[in-house]
Order: sequence, then structure tokens, then C-alpha cells
Amino acid sequence: MSDNLARVLTTEPLRPDFTERSGADERRHIEIVSPSTHTRPRVVYALSAVACVGAVIVAQLLLSVGISQGAYEISALRASQVELGRTADSVSEDLIRVSSPQSLAANAEALGMVSNSTPAYLRLSDGAVLGAPTSASGGAAGAASLVPNSLLTGVPLVTQLPAGGQGTSVASGAPAAGTAPAAVTVADGLPSPTTR
Amino acid sequence: MSSKRRIAATIVVLVAIIGVFVVRLVDIQVVRADTLSADSLGNRSVERTVYGSRGEILDANGVVLAGTVMRYDVALSPKNASPFTRTVDGVETTVPLAQSVADIGAIVGLPTEQVQALITEALADNPKSDYALVARQVGVDAFRALSALDIPWLTFQQNPGRVYPNGAVAGNLVGFVSSAGEAQAGLEVGQDSCLASNNGSETYERGADGVRLPESTVTTEPASDGSDVITTIDSDLQFFVQKVLAEQAQKTGAAWGNVIVQEVKTGKLVAVADYPSVDPNDVSATTNPEDRGSRAFTASYEPGSTFKALTAASVIDAGVATPESQVVAPYRYLPENGANINDSSSHPDLNLTLTGVLIESSNTGTSQFGERLTNQQRYDYMTKFGVGTETETGFPGEDPGILHPADEWDNQTQYATMFGQGLTTTALQVSSIYQTIANGGVRMPVQLVSGCRAADGTLTDVPAAEGTQVVSAEAARDTADILEMVYQKAWLADTWEIPGYRAAAKTGTAQMPDGNGGYSKGYLVSVSGFAPADDPQYVVSVSLADPVNMNSSAAPAPVFQEVMSQVLKKYRAVPSGAAAPDLPGTW
Repeated sequence: MSDNLARVLTTEPLRPDFTERSGADERRHIEIVSPSTHTRPRVVYALSAVACVGAVIVAQLLLSVGISQGAYEISALRASQVELGRTADSVSEDLIRVSSPQSLAANAEALGMVSNSTPAYLRLSDGAVLGAPTSASGGAAGAASLVPNSLLTGVPLVTQLPAGGQGTSVASGAPAAGTAPAAVTVADGLPSPTTR
Repeated sequence: MSSKRRIAATIVVLVAIIGVFVVRLVDIQVVRADTLSADSLGNRSVERTVYGSRGEILDANGVVLAGTVMRYDVALSPKNASPFTRTVDGVETTVPLAQSVADIGAIVGLPTEQVQALITEALADNPKSDYALVARQVGVDAFRALSALDIPWLTFQQNPGRVYPNGAVAGNLVGFVSSAGEAQAGLEVGQDSCLASNNGSETYERGADGVRLPESTVTTEPASDGSDVITTIDSDLQFFVQKVLAEQAQKTGAAWGNVIVQEVKTGKLVAVADYPSVDPNDVSATTNPEDRGSRAFTASYEPGSTFKALTAASVIDAGVATPESQVVAPYRYLPENGANINDSSSHPDLNLTLTGVLIESSNTGTSQFGERLTNQQRYDYMTKFGVGTETETGFPGEDPGILHPADEWDNQTQYATMFGQGLTTTALQVSSIYQTIANGGVRMPVQLVSGCRAADGTLTDVPAAEGTQVVSAEAARDTADILEMVYQKAWLADTWEIPGYRAAAKTGTAQMPDGNGGYSKGYLVSVSGFAPADDPQYVVSVSLADPVNMNSSAAPAPVFQEVMSQVLKKYRAVPSGAAAPDLPGTW
């Protein structure tokens, strides 16, 4: 059986030997501290403390000036955000209105388009014609008005817009007003984009 | 006086002064603290309504059918209505009252006299009147023009309004709200719990010059936006269908009419057109309140011969007849129970198959097939096809139709119910019967709304999409073949032909009640069918009530042709390749 008691195995003395260092203590000496070196720093401390307080006050003042300046800026930005929001709402309302089916149908009719109620398909794989193609007959003009939309009251059709009045891009992009666009000539089959 | 006494006196005075201060301090900081700070806050703080916006109603492709926009109510203060000075570029000008009134009237679209009368009447009523409403819900442009006038006695109040960008397109379904924002009709009412929003409020403090103080905003009640309702409607097709219906209804002088386009495989309604209809932006333009909803949902009537398809499907499914089963159809049929059945026009006895009975739309022939089932059997088939109960759309005010229990049918009704008299259905229920036949006998729940979409994109209230097998797939196929024969051989074959496609259709001409228990001279004429017949995709069902200029099913047939062509074209249904079956109609 073993026990777990700690045992001191060393036989060396545990206490340090004091006799060797007693000679060094005798050589310490005491100096008189000059009083003038204590008085001068006191003024510096006082000044710097005052300066710090001053700096804090100034900083706080500047900060609060900055914050209230920011408040005006926020207020102005908020106002302009509201205004811009209103403009965005207004123009998107206009956009949705003119993209309604009534508006599109009325404009297409005004441009002379008619819908064909006989569907037919050309199958690209073998060129087969599916369905029985017939030419479209002109639908009843003004049929779009059968499904009213009071939001479109007073909105002019594309054909009723004053020439060149709606933005310069239309005026400059289109050929001279009044001249019919040149007929497309087909030389080598239908024009198609070049793909690589 | 000794110095001790002086010191004592000074101490007493000091203590007294400090005492006064302490009392005052406690009074202000503790006793009256709440009142005072509330007062001071009240001088600076402003309460503001934060508007939550009502959800949108969208079509299947995300096109907005109903949306919310900010509008402004304009009011003036009659007691303060007087000339004022306006400063423009440092120049002061005095604006006379008459000019202000004229300017306001011109912008909001009221005659000058009316605006003036508003002021004088309010003042006559109450000389201290401070509020008179000039116009409700003016748009942004008018609001800006009015604020630019700088009139000090003119005030504006935000009031969110409802806008329907597509006007009357689906107006019958979407419904409308009152000027106070209360849902009044259609999906606006039916889906109000999804769409509804809550207005919140916030308070903030502001300085003497009206600028909001930083960090002072407190939201006392958060605003919540409504969710969006997604419908199954296609707005482009809906427009086309409404246009075609209105054209034909006006041409034939119909009192009203409707067209339903339904997807065969899913039961989704792609278009539900009504005539006359309502433009929700201008509800008062539709004078008759009954025209402001959707009769396709809310009006039930005797369907007439379109119902014979259900009788044919029932007898085939029960195994008591095939498309080739033969009967002799006389003009007048007098069954043993004492009923009296006539065909619509006089004819000699015809040797017809079940197919032929539907091609000729013979009531006497249908009766001879229908009586092979018991009344209860036929009643059970009808209820399984959805007759007598509202469809699953949840549209407000939907009519379940009238289907009396089989044991309450009198002798005539026992036979009349075989060819669509003696019971009533909505146009929607008829469409659903054809959807079932076209879909291999599986009836899909009718869907108008595909869900309620919250701001984070989660879709709730998604309707059930589980079909029920009403008749066997073979019985449905046989019935569809019969209907295709009807489409090819009935008297309207040339009118409703869609070149290149196989279709199936059946006409109906039903007498309309006169409201006094009898029948009026008017007829409700209808065509229901589906295409392509070889792989049915869409049901189109057209009804016109009392078309005085053309009182037969020739009136709805062109609408069926045009709408079905458009549907096939729009959804790129490939023209039919296989040849149609050829079932004999006579023997």
C-alpha cells in the first residue's frame, strides 16, 4: 500500500542566507529634493485642465451645431424625398394607364393594325403549315371603347400627338415628318442577323 | 449686537431661503413633474398618421388590376376665406377672393359658382365655420397645382385612394371600394381579409421653425400594409373576351351575357367576362346596380340543352347507353308517368343514336335515355358535377343554383331535369360540367384566386387542387366524342368552325322566367364547349340573355368561335393532327 503524503526530501537549508547582502544596504544615501520642481508643474496642470474643459465645451458646441445643421438637412431631404416620391407615383400611374389593354388596342387600331382571329403556324422543322391561314379582316373600329377605362379620358392617341412635340428623341430619330419610310426591298431572302 | 447673534440670524435666513428653494424644487420636479413635461412636449410634439397601403389585386401574370395610390382631400376654411397677400420674388400682390375661388375651381374641375356657393352656404350655416370639403381624392398633379397657389385658408388631407389601371377589364370580378375606402363588391369584398391594411401613427418633436428634432421620432403604432391577391385571370384575354362579348351583345340586343374561359387541367378561370360591366374607376357610370357585379357568379338560370351533355355522361358512365345506342325520337313523347315532352320544332319520328340525339338536341330522345336511370341516380350525378352548390371560388354572393331533391321532382320535372329545365345553374357551374367531361371525368375545383401573397413572398390561402372523379375516363371520352360530333354536324357547324382545330361544343336555348312563376318570351341562349378535342385544354362557355334581334343559339356561336380561336392562338395550342372520330348520328 502506498500513501500520498508529501515528503520533504531535500536536506538543503530552506532559508536564504542574509549575511551576504547586508553590506549593500549600508551604501544607500538620501538627497534633499528641491521644492521648486513641484510648484511649476501645478500651473501647467491647471492650464491643461482648463484647456481640456474648454475643448470639451467647444467640441460639444460644434457637435450640437453639426447635429442641428443635420436636422435641417434631413428635413430638407425628407421634403425632397416626398416630392420625388410623388413625382414617381405620378409618372408610374401614367405609365400603367397607357399600358392598359384599352390604350394599346386603341393605339394599334389608330395605326391601322387589325387582329387575325384565324391562328396558323409554320413549323420550322419541315416547313409544314399548321392550321388554315386566312387574311385578317378589319375589326370594328373603336371596339376598345366597349370596355371603358375612365382613366384614359383625355389621353391622346399616338396618332393625335402633335408632330415633334413629344420630346426631341422622336423628332430627331424619325425621318423628316411627312415622308413615307422607304419600302423594304428583299434581295436575298428575308434579312436576318448574322450569328456566329 | 454680538457677532454670535448675527451669525445665528444669518443661518436662520439662509435655512429659510434654502427651504423655499427645496419646496419649489420638489413641487416642480416631483409633484407637478408629469403635467409640466407633458405640456412642454405638447408644445413641440406632433402626431402623424402613417398610412398602410391596401394590397393589390393582380392577374396571373402580375398585371395590376387594383392598386393603391396617395390622393388628397381638399378643404377650405370658410371663415378665413378672404383676399390674401402672396409674395412672388419679393413682390407682394394681393389676391382677391374671386380669383382664388376661380383658380381652385379650375384645378379641381368645379364651376366657380359652386366653390363660391360652398363658402357662402357654410357661412350662412355657421358664421364661424372652419371646414368645408372642396374635393375628395384629387391626384398628385392637382394637389401640386393647388399648393402652388399658396392660399393660406386651403388645407389638404392625405387619403389613400384605389385605382384600377385597366378600367373595366375584370371590373366585374375585382369590384370596387367606396370613397371612404370600404370594400363594396367583388374580390375587394371577398378577399378583404387578405387586402386590408392598418394605418399606424408616429409622434415626433419639432422646433419653432417646424424642423423635426433629431432622434425624437417615436412610432406609437406601426402601420401594416395589406397583402396582394393573385387571381388566375389573364388581363389581356379578359379584355379581348369582354370586347367580343360586348360587340355581339349589342349587335343582338341581348339584355346581358357572360363568357367564361376555364383551364381544363387545373379548373382555373382564365377569363370571366360580363356584359354590361362596370369600370371600377367610375362606378356611377353604370346606372343599374345589378350590372356592377358578375352575373356569371351571381345569376342562376335554367341552362337548357347544354345540360344534355351531363345526362349523356351519366347514362354512359352508368353503363345503360353507349354513343351508338339507338332510340326513335318522336316530336312529342308521352311517358307513362303522365309527363308531356316536346321538341322545339315539329318533326317526323327520327331514328337517332345517343350521338344523334345531341346533334339534333332532341328533348324526346334525351328523355328516353335519361329514364334508364332512377331519379336519385341522376340527382347524385348532378351533385357530383357540382350542380346545386356554390363553386370553390369564394366569390361573394355566389349563387348555388336551385336543385330540388329527387323525391320532390314532379312528373314533368323528372323529365325536364334531363335537358336542363326544372333546375338552375350559374354559367360557372355549366363551365365546370364541361371541364369535367373534357378532363377525363375529373372535376377540378373552380379557381379564381390562386393565393394571398404577403410582402415577404409567402403565398397563403392557396386553394385545394384535388380533383374528384365524377364519371369514368371512358365515359368522359365517349361524351367528348359525342360533343365533337355535335360541333361538326349541328346546324351551327359553319358558324363556329375554327379552321385547323378539332373542338367540341353544345348549344342551349332555355326559356327565361318572367318573374311571376311562368316563362317569358325571351330565351337564354348559350354555347359551351372545349378545344382541342384531341387533347382538351380550354373550356369556353358563352351565354346571352334575351338577344331580341337573334333569339337562337346562333347569337352566342360567333362569340364562342372568336374567343376559342383567340385562346388557342394565345396559348399556342398546336392545330390538331389526328382525324376526328366518326360516330353515326342516325340508324
